[in-house]
Amino acid sequence: MGSRGASVLLSRASRIKTKLQSTLEASIIEVEDVSHQHAGHAAVKGTQGETHFNVKIVSPKFQGQSLVKRHRMVYDALAEELQSGLHALSIIAKTPEEAAPK
Amino acid sequence: MALTSVTIAVPSSSSAVVLPRIFSLRSTTLPLRTLSFAGTHHPFLVLRNSKSIARVPSIRCSSSALTPQLKDTLDKVVTSNKVVLFMKGTKDFPQCGFSNTVVQILKSLNVPFETINILENEMLRQGLKEYSSWPTFPQLYIEGEFFGGCDITIEAYQNGQLQELLEKAMCT
Repeated sequence: MGSRGASVLLSRASRIKTKLQSTLEASIIEVEDVSHQHAGHAAVKGTQGETHFNVKIVSPKFQGQSLVKRHRMVYDALAEELQSGLHALSIIAKTPEEAAPK
Repeated sequence: MALTSVTIAVPSSSSAVVLPRIFSLRSTTLPLRTLSFAGTHHPFLVLRNSKSIARVPSIRCSSSALTPQLKDTLDKVVTSNKVVLFMKGTKDFPQCGFSNTVVQILKSLNVPFETINILENEMLRQGLKEYSSWPTFPQLYIEGEFFGGCDITIEAYQNGQLQELLEKAMCT
């Protein structure tokens, strides 16, 4: 089993965190599995959870990017997850300046 | 052959918009006929003169769900109304919390908007993901341009950007 096999053993939340950290050089990442909140959802039936996540990510790469562009960057980084059962993401994407407490 | 169509009343204007109900598909094994929609043929989106519609397995070589015909159709749909929401469920019966949130926001702003239920058509659902470069639903289009999903709509609603954009759209 190579590294791919090992990564499958991690939870989806961990995999999301790792991918976003490496692709987007995030300074802050918070990943929360909220699949249980969508338990009645048609798409969730027959899955083991790990379908809906809240993601908060702070990265300098978001500088100058519109919200749509930022979300697309996150989606692109998680393309594999999206094809393997990840169903929805609530994304908060900020630059370090925007995330700094006022 | 009569065209099954739906007329959407647009309260703020005097003309009604007619949008052919090409996205309401149910799988049956009835024989089908293709219908020309504004000059383009859609072998996989067919309409009968009754409410039941047959689904055709599409004959395509590429693995892309976004065929040129579907792209054409989507181009027309997103420009047919000022505000178009691709969602799970319908305006009156949303089947997803995120889709419902966007519906409620738009309703509270009193803007006329068209919704399309992507749960009824798997081809449409996958094609739209490519068309919009967006992997999830709901997907909101304003004046033919992709605006965002639920998070973006909420944020724009909270900071007033959404209202501004919609006002501008309604006035043109």
